[in-house]
Amino acid sequence: MRSSRYLQFWTGLMLVVFCACTSQAQDLVPVITGSAGFIYSKNAGQTALQPIINPILLFPLGSKFLVEADAELQGFVARSGPGGPYEWQSFTSILYLQVDYTVNSHLTIVAGRFLTPFNIYNERLGPIWIHNFQDDPIIFPIGTRTTASSDGAMIRGVAVARPDWLLNYTAFFSALSTSEKFGSGRAFGARVGLFLPKVNLEIGTSYQRFLQDQHSDSYGGYLAWKPTMRTDVKAEYAHSPQGQGYWVEAAYRFNDSGRLGRELKNIQPIIRGQQFFRTAPGVNDELPRADTQRVDFGLNYYFPHEIRLNGSYGRQFSSTGNSNNWTLDLTYRFLFPLPFWPKGGQ
Amino acid sequence: MKIPASRFVLLALFLLFSFVALKSNARAQQGSAAPRSAAPKLDEAKEGEKRFRTNCGRCHQPPQDLSPREARAVVRQMRVRAMLSAEDERLILKFLAP
Repeated sequence: MRSSRYLQFWTGLMLVVFCACTSQAQDLVPVITGSAGFIYSKNAGQTALQPIINPILLFPLGSKFLVEADAELQGFVARSGPGGPYEWQSFTSILYLQVDYTVNSHLTIVAGRFLTPFNIYNERLGPIWIHNFQDDPIIFPIGTRTTASSDGAMIRGVAVARPDWLLNYTAFFSALSTSEKFGSGRAFGARVGLFLPKVNLEIGTSYQRFLQDQHSDSYGGYLAWKPTMRTDVKAEYAHSPQGQGYWVEAAYRFNDSGRLGRELKNIQPIIRGQQFFRTAPGVNDELPRADTQRVDFGLNYYFPHEIRLNGSYGRQFSSTGNSNNWTLDLTYRFLFPLPFWPKGGQ
Repeated sequence: MKIPASRFVLLALFLLFSFVALKSNARAQQGSAAPRSAAPKLDEAKEGEKRFRTNCGRCHQPPQDLSPREARAVVRQMRVRAMLSAEDERLILKFLAP
């Protein structure tokens, strides 16, 4: 019931914006993009198959507005118990449904449902065709409670842009929603990032105040660095009253020159290490119950037409039990104009 | 009625950023009155490719077969999500949709 009311509200809001701006949108075309994938995983002896479709609608309205919507349709096939039959479950969720209003080059106002901007994993590395390991980092639940999406408003943009550095910011608040498709926690937070283009380095820090049940503060930091055009390093640290941890990931794309290079140019070895330290017991915080260490190794193979094959192995160490984690997945990234949309001027 | 301190903090942040952004926009508009240097299109596309690799290439590969109208929608989304500056957006568009 609540879910349909939310949907009606946002549909109405978007229709108003659409009517106001559609006359200016002739040189823009709405786009459907997103990804589809099939994930096979075997975590601690439990096998699961997950088909996923993740369509995203981008609807530009005039020169200032953009409506973005992202739905995730996910299947999950796994045994109901040890030795039991495989069972099928399906989940549908709305990851974001937001209106972006670009006031100027320094300020964009976002309203609706959006990905919670804590560190960079949730917003930038979340799609299955982007992230290198299909398992989210252990510390992912820190700062993204309750659903990794927020219902409210956000301001963001590049506060200062200089040739040598850029300072970006995000501030948001979110209301509590227990709706099935639009669930979110009551919180506010901010993130500030400094990007140094000459050394391809971005560092930043995030803060979030969770305002329901027992109020709590989470904070974190991140790093995204490309020391060479073929090497990619990313890292995050997050702290909450229940625990703290970090992950570091590195990827390398081979040079495409020479005979060996031509064979290897589509391969990308990846490695990730992470640690989590439990400092206090938590209820439904989705974090490991005990200190946990994990290391993952993987390979990406890039086929033409935006298809990627990924395989990885991870070993997890914890006082609650060590485990092996295997993943194999095939992802496809698609992008096409909204069908039946008039061609208009180019 | 007691108003939580968090609301004051949020309001103050919002006002501060709005003020900074509006002031910067006014400056940018003053600056744009001056004639822009006539850089060749090719150079802009090359610079756009460099900006793409620097900003977008940290997370993903360049998309294939993108028409200019599609590129505008995609780059507008990425401007919001990946915190691109207006100049980055303009040059990356030159690269993706020359």
